[in-house]
Amino acid sequence: MSHGDVKSTRDTIKSENQQRLSLGRLKADEFGRAVSKIAVAQICESVGFQGFKESALEGLTDILVCYLCDLGRNASFHANLAGRTECNLFDITRALEELEASHGFPSASDIGHCLVGSGTVREIIRFVDSEEEIPFAQPVPKFPIVRNGKLIPSFEHMNEKPPGKHIPTWLPAFPDPHTYIHTPMWNERASDPCADKIEQARQRRKAEKALLQLQQRLVCNGSSGTSTSLATDAEKEKVQGGESNPFLAAPLQPGEKDVSQVVSPAKPTDEASKGDHVSMLEAFAPAIEAMKGGPSDGEKLHLPEKRAAVHFKFRAGKKILGEPLDLSLQKKGERGTTAFLRIEERDDKKRRAEFILRQTTEFPMELNQS
Amino acid sequence: MNHNRQSNDGKHDDDSALSDFLASLMDYTPTIPDELVEHYLAKSGFQCPDVRLIRLVAVATQKFVAEVANDALQHCKARQAAVVKDKREKQQKVISIDACF
Repeated sequence: MSHGDVKSTRDTIKSENQQRLSLGRLKADEFGRAVSKIAVAQICESVGFQGFKESALEGLTDILVCYLCDLGRNASFHANLAGRTECNLFDITRALEELEASHGFPSASDIGHCLVGSGTVREIIRFVDSEEEIPFAQPVPKFPIVRNGKLIPSFEHMNEKPPGKHIPTWLPAFPDPHTYIHTPMWNERASDPCADKIEQARQRRKAEKALLQLQQRLVCNGSSGTSTSLATDAEKEKVQGGESNPFLAAPLQPGEKDVSQVVSPAKPTDEASKGDHVSMLEAFAPAIEAMKGGPSDGEKLHLPEKRAAVHFKFRAGKKILGEPLDLSLQKKGERGTTAFLRIEERDDKKRRAEFILRQTTEFPMELNQS
Repeated sequence: MNHNRQSNDGKHDDDSALSDFLASLMDYTPTIPDELVEHYLAKSGFQCPDVRLIRLVAVATQKFVAEVANDALQHCKARQAAVVKDKREKQQKVISIDACF
C-alpha cells in the first residue's frame, strides 16, 4: 500500500513509531495506537484503497479507538444498570444499538423486542459471512505489561515490633533510625602501643631486607664472571677475591661483556668462577639465612642461572653502584675480606650503614687513582 | 397465541443463530487483534472473561471502520468521476481526512 506523502508499508509505520519513541516524548498509549494504525490500514486495504495520507490514517485510528472505548463504556454501563459487574451479550447488543441509533439499523423501531433478534447483531452476522477473513499482520503481545512493584516490607516481615500499639503489624516498617538520626561516631579500634611497635619494627625489617637483597644482586652482577674470555691476571685476581667475598672480584675491563650471573643458593653458576661463587655463598650464607624469613625471599632467589650478555657503556664520570664497589674492593685485598666478615656479625642496620659509608669515602679515592 | 408461538419459534431461531454465530466467531479471526480490544475495553471498564464477546466487539468495530472506509471510497470515486481533466486512466484511490467525515 502506498502512502500519499510517504511510501509506507506496515514495516515503515512501525519504524516511524519507533523513531517517535526514540525522540523521548512517549505519549500515553503509544503502543496501542501503533497497533490500531496497522489494523486500520489493513481494513482500508480490504475495502479497496491503494493509498492513504498520514492525517487520514491518524483520523481513522482515532475513530477506531474512540469506538472501542465507547462500546466498552456503554456495555459496562448497561451491566451496572442491571446490577452486574461483568458484561454479557445483551449488554453489548444494547451498546451497539445505542451507538448506531443515529445512523439507524434494522428493527430499530421495534420496541420491547428480544435482543436476540436485534438488527445490529444480524448485520454483524451478515458482515462476517460476507467479508473474507483478514487476520492481523503481526503477532501482538499481551499489553500493558504489569510489573510487580517492590513493596516496602511490613513490620511482620521484618520481625519488628511497631513503636506504638496503634500501628498494626501488616503496615510497612519504619526506616532504620540511622537513616534519620545523627549518631556520634567513635573510633572503636583499641590502641595497643606494644603491638604497634612490633608492627613498626616488622615493617622496618621488611624494608631493610628488600634493600639488602637489592645490594646483594648488584654485588652479584659486579662479581660474576663474564661469558667471554677473560684476562688471566683478572681471573687470578678473581679467584683470589672470590675465595672470600665478591667485593674483591676483578673489575670489568672496558669492552668486556658482562653476563650478570644470579646465584641461587644451591647451584654454582659459571665454570670460570665456580670457586668464586661457592666461597661467596659461604660468605653470604649467614646473611642469607638471616634474611630467610618470608616465602618471598625464597622465590626471589630462584632465578635463572645465566642471563644474556649485556653491553655496558663505561663512563668515568658516572657513578654506578656495581662498578665503584669492584674498584674499591680490588685494591683492598685481604683487608676487605676480614672487614666483610666482621660486618656479617653485626646487625643489618649497622652493616648497611658501614657499607654506604665505605662506598662514599673510598670511591673518590679510587677514581682518582685509576 | 399463534403470535406467541411464532415469536417463540422466532426466538428459538434467533437463539440458535446467535449461538451458532458465537461459535463460528472462534474460527473467524478479526483484523483487530484481541489484545488491543481487551486493552481498550479494560480502560473503559468492560469486564468479561469470555473470548467470544471480545471477538464480537472486535468484529463490530471492524464493521464500523469498514463502513466508514467504504463511504470514503464512494466519496473519492464520486470526486474523481466529477473531475473533467483526467488524463490518466487509472487514478490511485487515496483516502483523505475530509472524506472520512
